Amino acid sequence: MLIAFFLAGASCASSEENLSPVLEEPSSIDNNPKLVLTVPENFPELTYDTSLNAPTMKGFELGKMLFYDGRLSSDGVVSCGFCHMQDFAFTHHSHIVSHGVNGAIGTRNAPPLHNLAFLNSFNWDGVVTHLDLQPVIPITAEVEMNETFGGIIQKLKKDPEYVDMFDAAFENNKIDAENILKALSQFMIMITSSNSKFDKIEREEGAVFTDQEAAGFTLFNTHCASCHKGTLFTDQSFRNNGLPIDEKYNDIGRSRISGLPQDRYKFRVPNLRNIELTFPYMHDGRFGTLEAVLEHYTSGMVDSGTIDPLFKNDDGHLGLPLTPDEQQQIIAFLKTLTDDQLLNDSRFAEF
Amino acid sequence: MKKTIYLFLSLVVLGLYACDDEDTDTTTKPGTLDIEFNNTINGEGITMDTKTYTNAGKEGFIVSELKYIVSNIVLIKKDGGEVAYPVADSYFVIDENDSKRILLKDIQAGEYTKVKFGIGVDQSKYPLNGVANFIPTAEEKGMLWSWSAGYKFLKFEGTFSTETIEDEKFVMHIGTHGTTQDNYKEVTLDLPSVLTIGEDVSPSLEVEADILKVFDGTNTIELSTKSDIQVDPVNAPKIAENLTAMFEAVNISN
Repeated sequence: MLIAFFLAGASCASSEENLSPVLEEPSSIDNNPKLVLTVPENFPELTYDTSLNAPTMKGFELGKMLFYDGRLSSDGVVSCGFCHMQDFAFTHHSHIVSHGVNGAIGTRNAPPLHNLAFLNSFNWDGVVTHLDLQPVIPITAEVEMNETFGGIIQKLKKDPEYVDMFDAAFENNKIDAENILKALSQFMIMITSSNSKFDKIEREEGAVFTDQEAAGFTLFNTHCASCHKGTLFTDQSFRNNGLPIDEKYNDIGRSRISGLPQDRYKFRVPNLRNIELTFPYMHDGRFGTLEAVLEHYTSGMVDSGTIDPLFKNDDGHLGLPLTPDEQQQIIAFLKTLTDDQLLNDSRFAEF
Repeated sequence: MKKTIYLFLSLVVLGLYACDDEDTDTTTKPGTLDIEFNNTINGEGITMDTKTYTNAGKEGFIVSELKYIVSNIVLIKKDGGEVAYPVADSYFVIDENDSKRILLKDIQAGEYTKVKFGIGVDQSKYPLNGVANFIPTAEEKGMLWSWSAGYKFLKFEGTFSTETIEDEKFVMHIGTHGTTQDNYKEVTLDLPSVLTIGEDVSPSLEVEADILKVFDGTNTIELSTKSDIQVDPVNAPKIAENLTAMFEAVNISN
């Protein structure tokens, strides 16, 4: 029940965890009930301010329709859901980098979409600092959806179903950029991943680690958790994790938005929830398996000038001292982060 | 919920009209203001694409594109009282090749002595209600940085020549990128005379923008040192600062 959202009127009095403001005007409940974004008890506070865009049933439904609508792209095919598939924790299954309209190829791997309401910034380089603005990048990027907001608004206005849905979802009834982005956010902030085996252990709901997983958890806390921190499995910082520079893209990471040489090759520390399904890994999808990732951290690192000091050892070796057995134990632990309930949640499903 | 929102909106509207009950002008209906931005070099309008100008660094330059975003317009009365134009309607692109006029409607009647506005989009205050609706306009004008979901506050392009360089392209795209660089600026200008807003008048205000100040303001920018300035942690903030000194309110006419 933790990721379920409730009708505000029915649940606001009984649950202490409802963080969203609840407007207590009964008339609004009838036609467009407010949704409550429930924060799981082992989670931090929301960063998304729901008082500025309170999710409602109609807003969520509209956001979902937009999310899966190819008309948000120039070729009518590439929707948000095209690269963010629920079965794979909203990533582009087996695609190294994102694919766009007319076969265009991007340069970065599509990240999973869950627990976005808890993040401070978005994209591999953190260029977007509010979820409402994030969709502007994939929608307008030539190698992704290659569309304009002016174009989308024109298309949507011609569709009576959208006219009705915007009318029902927003007080000002308008089909405009603001409402498109707000509806998308209302859909996305509801996607919470918090029912993995790990969560059920952390919340003491009866699940237990196997010996292999428990050993992996201990190793993870020693070697990985300083960056993949806390329940979100990221400290939301930007770091160089010792990847050899990919000549094909030469992606300089956060330096692209800061212009600072000390930010070269630094990327967001990704969250690890559902990591079993979100392959391939790294900002450019260069590793196909978790085994390859662990091998990189053990013996594949190079110093491109800005490597995180945490990876530097006194003896000059770069990386983590993990035996093959220990790598397997960490992988066993990482698989406890898979959240089947999210993957099968019909509220977020395209069909 | 509808009622709540309407009540809120009414309060906002009332706030605009009724913040100063002592003011005799509040009995008058609101009025309009036409603001004309006049981009100049050496005190004259700019001839695009053909005429060569010279900056203080003795660099000759030709302008092919000149656009900037003006936002968050606030009119200030003699007693310091501020009347903010509704934020959602307060974003404009000034384009040397197209429109340089801003028409403001339903402004509280009164006598104003200063005008304040932003150069760019204040992303530190995001989300501001309605600001996302500026996206289509910014797109049309090429002022949106798609990869950064941000706006180009200034887009200034052309070619330049020095003793050793001939007709090289220069590009200045100045904006804010995530939390790493905030180049949004605000300027407050004294008006040359009292600006009266009301139902019986339709005043226009001329704001002159001295484009040479982009190069030679508080900071000196030389194209021969760097001719492509985008996402630049050193030069972009300098140019943003220079922009704050480039505007002057020169004339009010009714």
